[in-house]
Parts: sequence; C-alpha cells; structure tokens
Amino acid sequence: MTRERLLIVVALLAIVGALGWSVRPHEATAAERVDHITSELRCVTCQGLSVKDSPAESARQMRDLVVQRVAEGRTDDQIRDEFRASYGDWVLLSPPVASWTGLIWLVPLIAVAAGLAVAIGRVRTSSPTAGAPTASELAALRDRVAREEALDLPQTDGAE
Amino acid sequence: MPRWLRYSIVGGIVALTVVLMLAFRHDPLDIRTGTINRPAPAFVLDRLEGSGKVALADHAGKVVVLNFFASWCIPCKEENPALVRAWERYRTSDVVVIGILYQDSLDSGRRYLRDNGVTWPTAADDAGRIAFAYGVRGIPETYFIGTDGIIAGRHVGPIDETTLFNAIETLRPKAQR
Repeated sequence: MTRERLLIVVALLAIVGALGWSVRPHEATAAERVDHITSELRCVTCQGLSVKDSPAESARQMRDLVVQRVAEGRTDDQIRDEFRASYGDWVLLSPPVASWTGLIWLVPLIAVAAGLAVAIGRVRTSSPTAGAPTASELAALRDRVAREEALDLPQTDGAE
Repeated sequence: MPRWLRYSIVGGIVALTVVLMLAFRHDPLDIRTGTINRPAPAFVLDRLEGSGKVALADHAGKVVVLNFFASWCIPCKEENPALVRAWERYRTSDVVVIGILYQDSLDSGRRYLRDNGVTWPTAADDAGRIAFAYGVRGIPETYFIGTDGIIAGRHVGPIDETTLFNAIETLRPKAQR
C-alpha cells in the first residue's frame, strides 16, 4: 500500500470514528436536556418560534421553568406534559403522533397517495393497449374501408 | 380518473369546507383549549399594594374573575373601566375580581393601580409561573372561575362590559342573581 492510500484509510477511519463518537449513546447533561426540551416547546407569545430560539421575556421565563424542573429531577415527558396541560398540544412545535392532531402527519401521505392514483389512472388510459379496438370494431372498420375503396374513382391529377 | 377517486376528492373538499366554516364561526377570543373545564391552579402571592397575601383558596365558593394585566399593556387600560364597573357592582356579593401583574415591575404595577382606580386584590406573578399554569398566551387575558373552582371560560384580549357581565351572571348561582 502506498503512503497516499494509507493516509486516505487513516483519514476515513478518523472520520468514521468521530461520527461514531458523536452519536454514541450517552446520558444527556442537564443543559442538553434543557436545550432539547426548549427546542420542542413553542414560545407562547411569538409567531412560530421555539422557546430556545426566542428572545421574548415569556420564552425566557419558560426556559427558567424548564431549568428548574430538570433540576428537580422531572423527566422530559413530565415537563412537556406540564406545558401541555396548560396550553394543549399547541405548545409543542411538532404535534404528537399519538393525539388527534397527529392526523396532520397523514395529510401529506394521503396527498401523495391521491397523486399516485391520479398518475396511474392517467397512464393507464393513455397506454396503447387501453384504447385498442375490439375484434368486432376492427371487422366493421375493414368493411367500411373496403366499401369506400370500391366507390373511389380513379384519381386525376388535373393536368390532363 | 376512477370514480372512487373523484368521489374521494369531492368528499375531501366538502369536509374541508365544513371544518373551515365551523372554525370561522368560532370566536377567536374565546379559546376553549388548555385549562378550560379544569380545576383552577391554586396560588398564594404577595399583595401588590399593602400587606398580606392573595390566595385563590380564600375565595372558594365564589365566582372569580382572574385578570392578567400589565402597566405597559395598552389594551389592559382599554378594558379597565369595564373591570372597575364589575368590581363596583359585585364587590359586596359572591363575585371577586383578582388581578395578576404579568411581566412588569412592581413599581410600575403599583402606579398603574393608583392611576386606573384598581381597588380589587392584585398580586404580581411569580416569574410567569401563574400565567403558565393558566395557559396565558398574551395579555390582557381574563379567566372565569366558577363556584366549583373550575375554569369555566377565558377571554383573550380586552374585554367589554357586556361580555364581562354576561360571563359573571352565567356563573353565579341562580338564587344569588
């Protein structure tokens, strides 16, 4: 193996190792948990901003409450549920799949399925075999062509 | 296009139209999610003016009008005369108005009380904890708590006298009206 190839292999191993290290299962720190929870919660006085990203006073207060609850030893679900009890599922930036708002996740799937059904329907109707005449239709067509050919006069070019 | 798909699309459009029609009929200021129809979260807070505490439990069995306000909130000033009239009318009866100062300094809040004739019990929120417990999204917001301690209604935005009095009368026991 040449030196260049060895270097490439070492670099690839380093990248894979770094990726593996970054996604290794580990217990989240309190700060990481606060970041994670506040990124899922909606700032109640803002337009579509998470508590983590909003500079609003109410978002700061919500963040402080999350910090306090984490320090008290509550689980992530318990903290989320506390806000859900007051604000409903609206306070979560992503509606939970388990509740009725989870139906919203079905809308894109239904739209894609409907689109596929329309596309397949179109393709079927425009395929060559779909519009092929039946045997009786072909026979009638042949008869008609034969009759018209029998009636046809010899063509003249008009120069004579 | 297959017949079933045509019917499905038409059905979907009709269903969507019905849902939108029902949604637009609903008063956006009358939000019935979150804490509505649930027991009112308890609180014990220092009075904004004077000494002592403001505790929800002290008013058990009464109709409570819980109003979140701030001195910097212009719509709060707009609705204040209606609250003053409600307090004047009901203060000796089975109805109590409680004000919760929201995201404001104590000095500004006290000045607001003096300048606007607020004499009902008021307290400053505990770092937003009470507002979060009730599900406040923005002020002014007014919660109506029945004699059973359940949050029966909520009004988002400045409340007018008619809406306020109607909500109170709906919650008062018939014998006391």
